[in-house]
Amino acid sequence: MASSRSLSLTRWAPFTSVTAPWRFLINICHGKSIVETFTDMKPILNARNLAQLYRLCAEHYGELPAFATRQTATNWQPISFRELYERGKQIAAGLAQIGVRQGDPVGLISDNRVEWMLAEVGIQLAGAVNTPRGTDVIDDEWGYIFEHAEIEVAFVEGPKELQRLKRLRVQWPNLREVIQLDTRKGVEEGVHTLDQLAELGASALKTNPQCIQEREQSVSGDDLFTLIYTSGTTGKPKGVMLTHENILSQIKNVPLELSCTDRVLSILPIWHVFERMFEVFTMSYGVCTYYTSLRTLGQDLQNVEPTFMGSAPRLWESLHHRIMQGIGQAHPVRRALFHIAYRLSSWYQHSWTVLRNETLEPPPRSLIVRLAWKMVHSGRICLILPLYGFFNAAVLENVRLKAGGCLKATISGGGALPMAIDQFYRKIGIHVLEGYGLTETSPVLAVRIQSKEVAGTVGPIIPETELRIVHLETDEILYSSSQSALSQEIGLRGEIQVRGPQIMRGYYKEHGLTREVLSEDGWFRTGDIGMVTWNGCLRILGRCKSTIVLSNGENIEPEPIEARLRQCAHIENLALMGQDCKHLYALVVPDLEQFQQDGREVKTREELITDPEVHQTIFREIREMQHHPSDSGKHPSIRAIRLIAEPFTPGEELTNLFKLKRHVVAQKYDDVLQSLYAAEEPDSSRSRGHR
Amino acid sequence: MNSDQVLLHGLDQALLALMIIVIMFGMGAGLTVDDFRTVARRWRLVAIGFASQFGFMPLIAFTLATLLNLPPAYAIALVLVGTLPGGSTSNMFTYFARGSVALSISMTTASTLAALIMMPILLQIYTPGFAREIAVYDADGMAHEFVIPTVNIVVSLLLVLVPVAGGMTLRRFSRGWAKSAEDTAGFMAMIVIIFLVASTLIRHFPQVIGTDIKVYAAAITLGMFGFLIGYVGARIFGASPIHQRAISLETGIQNGPIAFAIILLSFSDVALQNQMLWMAILYSMFIVITASIFTLWLRRHGQRDWAITENTLVHRRLFGEEYVTQYPAGIVPKRIEHNLTQE
Repeated sequence: MASSRSLSLTRWAPFTSVTAPWRFLINICHGKSIVETFTDMKPILNARNLAQLYRLCAEHYGELPAFATRQTATNWQPISFRELYERGKQIAAGLAQIGVRQGDPVGLISDNRVEWMLAEVGIQLAGAVNTPRGTDVIDDEWGYIFEHAEIEVAFVEGPKELQRLKRLRVQWPNLREVIQLDTRKGVEEGVHTLDQLAELGASALKTNPQCIQEREQSVSGDDLFTLIYTSGTTGKPKGVMLTHENILSQIKNVPLELSCTDRVLSILPIWHVFERMFEVFTMSYGVCTYYTSLRTLGQDLQNVEPTFMGSAPRLWESLHHRIMQGIGQAHPVRRALFHIAYRLSSWYQHSWTVLRNETLEPPPRSLIVRLAWKMVHSGRICLILPLYGFFNAAVLENVRLKAGGCLKATISGGGALPMAIDQFYRKIGIHVLEGYGLTETSPVLAVRIQSKEVAGTVGPIIPETELRIVHLETDEILYSSSQSALSQEIGLRGEIQVRGPQIMRGYYKEHGLTREVLSEDGWFRTGDIGMVTWNGCLRILGRCKSTIVLSNGENIEPEPIEARLRQCAHIENLALMGQDCKHLYALVVPDLEQFQQDGREVKTREELITDPEVHQTIFREIREMQHHPSDSGKHPSIRAIRLIAEPFTPGEELTNLFKLKRHVVAQKYDDVLQSLYAAEEPDSSRSRGHR
Repeated sequence: MNSDQVLLHGLDQALLALMIIVIMFGMGAGLTVDDFRTVARRWRLVAIGFASQFGFMPLIAFTLATLLNLPPAYAIALVLVGTLPGGSTSNMFTYFARGSVALSISMTTASTLAALIMMPILLQIYTPGFAREIAVYDADGMAHEFVIPTVNIVVSLLLVLVPVAGGMTLRRFSRGWAKSAEDTAGFMAMIVIIFLVASTLIRHFPQVIGTDIKVYAAAITLGMFGFLIGYVGARIFGASPIHQRAISLETGIQNGPIAFAIILLSFSDVALQNQMLWMAILYSMFIVITASIFTLWLRRHGQRDWAITENTLVHRRLFGEEYVTQYPAGIVPKRIEHNLTQE
């Protein structure tokens, strides 16, 4: 099943470079890049470590705002690059005073706030390792993380977190000092505030002004800048070790350019790797980041008028929902005009994707058919252009204004962007550049670029990164971007493996786990199945690792849950599903014999699965099993199930050792799953799991 | 009267009349009484625009007609187009060209009112020379000298303002309907212009082919010269980039529908009317194309200015009026430094 189709890239290449009449059209309409930088970025891009980068930003951008926090809708509190650095320097000196050595992990449990950034700058300038998590971290995990990382000094957000910390503290003999970020509700004895820490540092800086600069000098690119513990419901959290070089390589290689006149609206949890990278990325371009929340998003889009946003699919779904709601409530005439505009735009955009070789599927092989096809689409563009031009200006622009009206482009990462949502933004004229990456790859591996906006893919692999596609069972290398002999084997599906400067150093103190995913020669196994499309983009097709990642970022190890549920009397076998969904689902093979023993007069499973009573029986059984007191109760419950008639068989859905091949099941029952997701999560009409 | 000779048949004429009403109504729906008040506030800029619209534009039209030696009916039509006030189309183009939409609206408002006086005067100044070349035959077959029907023109202008007032009234009572009327008007204009061009091409193909190339040249270049002179003029008078853009587009883009209304209502001679209408249709069609290209150019050209201005405005909105954005050296171009600190 692995080598479904092989296409040779060379066969297409001469054609794509030919100077065709539509090249001219493309140049007129899509000539210049959407963003441009006004400043010389070289010194900043060549920083050796984050401490140096923060210093250079302060020198370069000085009084420009770096971050802004919302007080009320039109009252935001800015902090400048210089201020951030100066304060960060004092905090760093303060940290040194309370005994933080270079390379020490420092805990940081807080949600998005400007003090988070101050703490981060402080930690980096002190040469320490930021070990962050959001306040939604559950006690077990928090306990594990601080114990595992042997945290001695920790920042916590407010009194609530402090109470939790005190409760958990018994597990951490090493924890010495605690700093509270939000001090509006007072501070307890024995706990530092950020101001106290800064004062401590300020006096230390008076006696030895060079102490922080010295630390900056001695931190090398190989040193850790962060330990990010990935969340896991069942498995233990794993501490991903990322180095300064990892993150700085991203700033160099992520194919985007911003300028100091840009505004970024941010909504992702600040400790999430994508947001971390993006934060550093925007800082190095002098961009101001404005923190918003889902609740105030609509208002903030209007007031901040962001020019760029990087966010998770959830935000794009929410914004889509909001826009469609606005259109639903609009005046009937305007609503009709919107639908005309949308239709015209989809014709227009589709013709462009054909002309720009941005279709997901390869074009027909015959040169003549292809030429004719392109001519037809050129003709359609010319015909539609005047009408599209008008509707784009009069109607779609108003829709874009709902997103502030200044968005040049946006990045979506941290999960699969549903195709329908992706298409929607494309049609209304907002570029969504979908990217792909993992915490372990800090995170960007591939991202759509302007010249290759192929919907349904995550774009080409970024510079300095090598990609190979490896056969799922035989480990044979099917495609390799660095080996010329294999670089044309596109269209083959297999596990995505990558090598590059952004790959983590390993899991903290987990040598065994690291060896499982990271080979001696630096290849990282992503656990995702993918292929390279005919136009050189990476397409993600599913997961080969069993871990299911829900849309809220929760990692679920399905195997223990499945093992347990297989004990239910009426279940022969089952497979948990829900990659990128809000909830967990199950495909269940009912136990025919058991139902027959129950006295039900059925002969085949086909009959059985159409009976709603059977469905109920099984679902009830699952519920009971999951809520059984002996169960640790931490498993997310299964939202809905679908029954399937064909049992899983070895060699097909199971390995010879009876291990479930989840991607095979996902692919085989794709239509069942899609209808299930559509029924259960209608607001996010997505095509998931097996994209 | 042979119907073949008529450029626009009954249906076309009715459509055109409907389009005029809808467009002028839509234009009114976009205006408020406040827009008239703000004209007084920015009188200096409006005056530059006024000079450009009623000073340069008719002069360009006259010069083009004379230099190209256009047939008299086309020449009169060209001057007529040159003397028109601005319309709501220019506001939309100004928005996309990142110019001052507020100034564009002010200029549209001011010029529409001023046209009542300026158009008859300007036509009296520039057209008699062309009119003299036309011989009109009355019912008895007697040749008369053609006279520009000034009174008719003023009446037509007043008639055109009725739907504008209607639109403004609607806006007072329902914003939702007014916004719809605005959008519908733009849509309608597009469809009708495309329809008129297509139907003329199909029915009067020989006539169209036979039209002097000079007529096309005049129809295309009138707007382009308008953009150029408006831009340069505003620059010389010291307007800032966003105002230069608004004035430039406002000067080049005229209110086509008013030309149609005047031609249909004031000129009774069929042959004359045909030629004049054809000129107005050609202008209306080509101005959309030239204005689109010019707007794209302005947009790209002014990207940096706009990015800086917009960012500064947002900072001021969010961080307080007193907040001063301090860009690193070399970011802010000299031409907009003044703007950032003032308005």
